[in-house]
Amino acid sequence: MEEKIICSMNSAGMCGVISICIFVAFFTGMLLWAFAKKKNYLDKMSSLPLDGGETNATDKIQS
Amino acid sequence: MNTNIETFKYDNRIVRAFGIMTVIWGIVGMLVGLLAAAELFFPGANLNLQFITFGRIRPLHTNAIIFAFVGNGMFMGIYYSLQRLCKARMFSDFLSWFNFWGWQAIIVSAAVTLPLGFTTSKEYAELEWPIKIAITIVWVAFAINLFGTIIKRREKHIYVAIWFYIATAVTVAVLHLTNSMCMPWGWLKSYSMYAGVQDALVQWWYGHNAVAFFLTTPYLGLMYYFLPKAAGRPIFSYRLSIIHFWALIFLYIWAGPHHLLYTALPDWAQSLGMVFSLMLIAPSWGGMLNGLLTLRGAWDKVRQDPVLKFMVVAVTAYGMSTLEGPLMSIKMVNSLTHYTDWTIAHVHGGGMGWNGFLTFSMLYYLFPRLYKTQLWSTKLANYHFWIGLLGMVFYIIPIYVAGATEALMWKQFNKDGFLQYPNFLESIVQVVPMFRLREIGGLLYFLGVLLMAYNLYRTAKAGQFEPDTEAQAPALEKVSEQSHGTYGWHRVLEGKPLFFTALAVVSVLIGGMVEIIPMFLIQSNVPTIASVKPYTPLEVLGRDIYIREGCLGCHSQMIRPFRSETERYGEYSKAGEFVYDHPFLWGSERKGPDLAREGGKYPDAWHFNHMDDPRATSPGSIMPRYSWLLTQKMETDTLPARLIALRRLGVPYPVGFENGPAQKDLSAQADKIVANLKVGSVTTDSDKEIIALIAYLQRLGTDIKSAPVAAAK
Repeated sequence: MEEKIICSMNSAGMCGVISICIFVAFFTGMLLWAFAKKKNYLDKMSSLPLDGGETNATDKIQS
Repeated sequence: MNTNIETFKYDNRIVRAFGIMTVIWGIVGMLVGLLAAAELFFPGANLNLQFITFGRIRPLHTNAIIFAFVGNGMFMGIYYSLQRLCKARMFSDFLSWFNFWGWQAIIVSAAVTLPLGFTTSKEYAELEWPIKIAITIVWVAFAINLFGTIIKRREKHIYVAIWFYIATAVTVAVLHLTNSMCMPWGWLKSYSMYAGVQDALVQWWYGHNAVAFFLTTPYLGLMYYFLPKAAGRPIFSYRLSIIHFWALIFLYIWAGPHHLLYTALPDWAQSLGMVFSLMLIAPSWGGMLNGLLTLRGAWDKVRQDPVLKFMVVAVTAYGMSTLEGPLMSIKMVNSLTHYTDWTIAHVHGGGMGWNGFLTFSMLYYLFPRLYKTQLWSTKLANYHFWIGLLGMVFYIIPIYVAGATEALMWKQFNKDGFLQYPNFLESIVQVVPMFRLREIGGLLYFLGVLLMAYNLYRTAKAGQFEPDTEAQAPALEKVSEQSHGTYGWHRVLEGKPLFFTALAVVSVLIGGMVEIIPMFLIQSNVPTIASVKPYTPLEVLGRDIYIREGCLGCHSQMIRPFRSETERYGEYSKAGEFVYDHPFLWGSERKGPDLAREGGKYPDAWHFNHMDDPRATSPGSIMPRYSWLLTQKMETDTLPARLIALRRLGVPYPVGFENGPAQKDLSAQADKIVANLKVGSVTTDSDKEIIALIAYLQRLGTDIKSAPVAAAK
């Protein structure tokens, strides 16, 4: 069935249309998602690697 | 607020083990690279040993660097950072060590099988089917350990580095499984399930994304962890890192066909590959700027700290490579750079700069911490930095010059409209001095690695290894509706790692499916050519020798539709010519001429003499001698297994052909070649490997000469 549908369409046209639709939908969603984030969340996340929870001071060692 | 503080321990042993093997395999992989590079200006460097010819050790070098050096570096960084980002020990110590020993066993098996000539010939996927199965098992163990650790974490939020690790784990699995589909015909031999154009698309969908999801995404995750950690500053923009992640994994998967521009791949797939490659500049540079801007206000530290120095160069090299790559994907630019050494310079900019320098920075960061001491010598690390940087420059610049020289010489016409340099060898002779300079650059880079190995060894000797690091964190609370409100609905998604993973997989799969499925289902993508017939039994044996010797490391079999190529090589290649090619052998690099229309160009005796001593027929050639082909007997007892495997894959050999008729056919064709050789004053037996190889070479590109009518169904 899928084969028939795909074969009945012009491959170049089909891929172009599908690609652009997926592309626009994906990036719209992603940007909305990224810009909807709250500042306190972003601040916390950007500092996350700095807190490893170690009880000793290995992180203070200078390379 | 949760006051239930738990005490637990991070596993440092596994990090150290991967770290040590990163250094060891780095040294081995680079040594093999130095040998391969030397063979390009001194063909006798293989000492006439078949096991270390360029064709066999080139894949050994690429596999050693990608999967052994960078692979171990990746595991080292992930096992260190994942535990700390999740505030949890790894899910299973058993799986950690299974991952470690399994991965080392795979590397050793690659180091044994590739020089012995057991290869699928598919770039960065050369290892044969039993090893591929082992890779799958070890990778699944790694993925279970990764997800298990994420699930048992004590930190509510999943940091962006872990997103990159998740994308790596699932995408590499998908790529590996799809590209590894094959039909075995022996314990260490198989034929690709796909043929010709379809095989090419699947292979370069894999090949490109192996670069993306093995060399790039995990290392970006590591950058997002180690760079803020070493700089002691939060990441510049977390929002940018989110956009970087989603845009990168979504776009990367579409870009594979840029490795096949102007080939017989349908034009729509080429265009998709080019457009998505160009779009990749945006997320890549977003990531690079995010990394560099994290250092704002901390540049004084960069002057003093070798870890940060290596990181700055690594991130800059990432930016340069990810600008250059898309530019090379523009069809017009690609028509110049493809098949030339420009590509080699491009990958070494990324490999030595991005992967190499980031790995070095992680090693310099981790060893003092694992051994609870200071780095033994900062001065030596600085020497390493400068020697490594100089080595990169000395490697890359001559090879760029070589690439540009080759591109221009191959395309140059004289005023009468003929090729200015009709003999391919003229371009190679011209760039050999550049190959010598490249060796100096490689040696410098290698010397830097030796300095690092010594420095890390002395650091380990001076300190005391801490097998487990104690840590404390509150137990993870169950996510409540209220906390959704605090951090937004994204928290819901992020709190469910499996759902998040599913979304990432869908993003990754979309591009692959849109490109690959139509290629298999729409017949007009591969117009059939009536005169194209399956290879004869002798040619099948010859083709397998061609694969074993890694001939495609230097010879393409794809004539692009440019006048400069059709004048030099003959009619441009058509998709329908490759329908029985399991695997396809288009190649990606020309150190010798294209062989797509080699059949009938020279007499059989020329091929015999050329294989015995290439410089006897082609003065100045950098091809190694293949004298063992003149003495080794061809392996006819496995012929039935080979033909049955090919028939199962759709090659129309009649049932029963392998039981008798095939052997008769083989003998008749071999005898004919022996008779031809006699005419050229060459005497040999019909059971020698050279006979099969000559049969294959003389067949190449001859099918459409008999009936050039292409009928699209």
